[in-house]
Amino acid sequence: MPRIVDARMELGDVTVHNLKQLKKLNAVILPVAYSDKFYTDVLELGNLAKLAYYNDVVVGGVCCRIDHEGDKRKLYIMTLGCLAAYRRHGVGTMLFNHVMKIAKEDGNIDCIFLHVQVSNDEAITFYKKFGFEIVGKKENYYKRIDPPDAFILQKEMKTSNGSEESEQNTSK
Amino acid sequence: MAANSQKLPQKESGIFKKVVRSYECKQYKNGLKFAKQILSNPKHSDHGETLAMKGLILNCIGKKDDAYDCVRRGLKNDLTSHVCWHVYGLLQRSDKKYDEAIKAYRNALKHDKENVQILRDLSLLQVQMRDMDGFCDTRYQLLKVRPAQRSSWVGYALAYHMNNDFEMALKVMGEYRKTQAPPQKLPDYEFSEMILYEVQLLMESGAYKDALKFLEDFRHYVSDMLAYAEIKGDILLRDKRFEEAELIFHDLIHRNPENLMYYQKLEECLNITSDENRMELYRVLKEEFPRSHVCRKVPLGFLKGPAFRDMIDQYLRPPLHKGVPSLWIGLKALYENKEKAQVIEELVLLYEKNLQSCNKFHPEDPDPMEPPSAILWVWFFLAQHFDRCGDHRRALEYIDKSIDHTPTHIELYMLKSKIYKHAGDLEEAALWMDEARSMDTADRFVNCKCVKYLLRVNKIDRAIETAGLFTREGMPPLQTMDDMQCMWFQKELARAYWRSGQYGEALVKYHEIDKHFDDIIEDQFDFHTYCMRKMTLRPYVGVLRLEDRIRGHRFYFDSAHDIIELYLYLYDNPDAKRAKDAPIAEEIEQDLSHLSESERRKIKRKQRKALAKAKEKAAEQEKEKEKENKPRHDDDRKAATDENKIKFNPKELLNVEDPLNEANKFLKPLQSMCTGNIRTHLLAYAIHSRRRKYLLMLQSLKRAFSCDPENPTLHCYIVDYVLTLEKERPELPDPVHTVIDDCIPRLTDGGKSPDELNQSFIAKHSNSLEHLVAAAQVLYKLHPDYRTKAIAMVTNLSDSLIDRSLRTCRNVHKFLSSGFLGDCSDELASYSSQCHALFPFASSFKPPVEAGKELESSPASPGDAPPCVGVAGRSPAAQKES
Repeated sequence: MPRIVDARMELGDVTVHNLKQLKKLNAVILPVAYSDKFYTDVLELGNLAKLAYYNDVVVGGVCCRIDHEGDKRKLYIMTLGCLAAYRRHGVGTMLFNHVMKIAKEDGNIDCIFLHVQVSNDEAITFYKKFGFEIVGKKENYYKRIDPPDAFILQKEMKTSNGSEESEQNTSK
Repeated sequence: MAANSQKLPQKESGIFKKVVRSYECKQYKNGLKFAKQILSNPKHSDHGETLAMKGLILNCIGKKDDAYDCVRRGLKNDLTSHVCWHVYGLLQRSDKKYDEAIKAYRNALKHDKENVQILRDLSLLQVQMRDMDGFCDTRYQLLKVRPAQRSSWVGYALAYHMNNDFEMALKVMGEYRKTQAPPQKLPDYEFSEMILYEVQLLMESGAYKDALKFLEDFRHYVSDMLAYAEIKGDILLRDKRFEEAELIFHDLIHRNPENLMYYQKLEECLNITSDENRMELYRVLKEEFPRSHVCRKVPLGFLKGPAFRDMIDQYLRPPLHKGVPSLWIGLKALYENKEKAQVIEELVLLYEKNLQSCNKFHPEDPDPMEPPSAILWVWFFLAQHFDRCGDHRRALEYIDKSIDHTPTHIELYMLKSKIYKHAGDLEEAALWMDEARSMDTADRFVNCKCVKYLLRVNKIDRAIETAGLFTREGMPPLQTMDDMQCMWFQKELARAYWRSGQYGEALVKYHEIDKHFDDIIEDQFDFHTYCMRKMTLRPYVGVLRLEDRIRGHRFYFDSAHDIIELYLYLYDNPDAKRAKDAPIAEEIEQDLSHLSESERRKIKRKQRKALAKAKEKAAEQEKEKEKENKPRHDDDRKAATDENKIKFNPKELLNVEDPLNEANKFLKPLQSMCTGNIRTHLLAYAIHSRRRKYLLMLQSLKRAFSCDPENPTLHCYIVDYVLTLEKERPELPDPVHTVIDDCIPRLTDGGKSPDELNQSFIAKHSNSLEHLVAAAQVLYKLHPDYRTKAIAMVTNLSDSLIDRSLRTCRNVHKFLSSGFLGDCSDELASYSSQCHALFPFASSFKPPVEAGKELESSPASPGDAPPCVGVAGRSPAAQKES
């Protein structure tokens, strides 16, 4: 689909004032309902949570956290999504680039990973575009939706410098 | 004798000077100490001026009673001292007893004619009280005493100006200017303002040619080039020097291409009469000013047919592409014209279709695809469009579609709420506005809207709590709102109290609004000295004139109108006073609602009481704090205003002796400042008829008649008056007869009987529901046996009526329920169900089961006057919506 030339796209912070907008967003984008605690924790995430604005309207958002697994540091994408009507206009890419930037600036992230419902082809295609690979499957990961299984998608960060650069090019 | 004994020896008089200096430097403790040094000497214990100064200082630290005591003693001991009188005046002034203060100053001047300080203080009070003759005299004295000061001259000229003596004002300004060398260094703003002030004087005196010449002679010194150009353009236009004026307005458009007035004046210069020429002008201007909004918008007003269609098509697409929420609001005025509304509807529906099929506004457009937000804005526009056209069902369909599309956008929820409000479901409206508010809790605008909508459904506590999210922390929200003079809030709150039967609380809010206007008038004081010193005379004159008419402001009119109606209601229903905490509301509620409802209300009431207690406590604490702080920031004005803060008491206000007298107080400003508004005179009649003031009633009718002879309420009142006279006539003295006989024929179309009047009224207004309601009242009053006919008249819902709207139908409903026509419960039921079909969302007409949750139908609400005193009058709340 051709890009709209003059569309304004930008990221914004999640604050106590606009938190409800993130809730509304996730309620329609994601198949899972998140607890109130999830949202109060989001406020502590700082840069790891962002809203995406398209022509001044909130249409997408991302929330991540950093997990420690032994001596490894992994960046886990909890939620990332965009309203259906605004997909394929670069909103997801903008959000993902933000995640990548955090990981790179941190410099000490081993990989980025996330869970995707096995049936969600759109999402799997999206992440594969950025170099994610399916590295595992968790059965009965989801409680109330069908199918209940989830793939684990992962992208290694600590590779040689050359491949990182080529990554950047694809994402642009 | 007395004067001699009052003379202090050298040492003491030195100390006295220290007292004065301490006062001037606000070192009040020192001042009191020095005063004590003098007074403790038995020889000088009754020294008048020292006592006066001591009193003045005591007043500054908040010891009002002691202050008065001291000053009075001082004055008694030394009646010939200008100091004692001056201080006495200052004290009166700080208590806002300006007339007393003026008298005291005058006495002071008797003993010291040329005291500049006293003259200045006196002149301030005189201009404040608009004693313009006195002001002129005092300014003359000041000029005599201080001829070298600019402010003396300017003040003297201004005094003549305010007395409309332009010639003298100009003479004084001219004399002064002659003594001044023109400024060497430019720009000199004060000199420039002085020149422009003289121009203004010339223009107001009607000497436009002189004004222009003067302006040109001094143009070199004028630094306000915008004012220069506007004044010059106006004078040239007035002088019909069109070509020169055209150049000026063209330049002005260049300066600011968004000022509509410049375009209108440019049209005048070009003597444009035909729409073709006008279009040509705007086409050329649009090329010159491609970013100007006005250039694109003005033609929408006058174009017709296909030309309009082309123009609006061009106009709509960029903002729909970009996403401009205010797009529709800007076009609202076009809806006066039904054809234009139709064209807009067709066009935007076409956009919708095309966007869905090919993602463009028009398939043949060369432009690239539209962004996904375009369809959202098209739906948003359509929702507003159908809302305006009264098709609330379709409006809701479109707004729901857009919310499904982009559930994160706050404007959408606000619009949804608004549509529900227009459709008559205020509960639902409040819910959605609260939803919008919760989505951006940093947005004060949405917060305010939400507060307003909550008040509309009488959720008073919730509303106050919500308002509190944006008021100062640690202070009760109501107090902050009052301090900020937030009048829309206080008005809505007053109405909510009224609808809930808390009449005393409502009165408090209305009085608080009235007080704001006093404060605004009071605030002028700051400008009298400042403006003359700084030479900002043009705006100063503007402020003085504004303040003279400040109570003509809509905010005052609305709340005065309400409070008068409330006082009338209290007069007619003396029992309502006792029903303070809304028991009447509850009684009515009980047969409507379930038990849970009344329980909820009880809880609410308890909360309210607790809240009030908390408020009292907070206020007390606040007071204590203030007391502690006082000695530190001793500014006499500040202390005075805090002291004078009137706390209104709901009980006292409710239990006034004579509500009509209170109502009359609020009527007075309306009668002098809102003479063009017929409601002023209808209110006047309503008051005077209850006081049986037949001549004043007649006067009100005559004034109302000259505003709008066809007004429905006026029709009721005229008949009422004629009928009253028939009964009371023998009691009236002869001169009154003469006056009445003189006026009645004009009011009654040459002396027609009430019956004839009503018949011709009906014939003339058979297609207006509002008028029919009035006629039905009269009919029933004249012939109680025509009840069926009266009911048929008001329950008419034919679509040939020009005003079959939610508002008018709701008024009919209220009228039927008022019992004026006796028990109408059967007719009401059928009327409600018919209206429910017409206005399916309106809670007033929902069948009882559905309406169970409703809070409406309280004993009386704003605009709900008793029968025949204005059921046909508009309800203020309803009017807002339409």
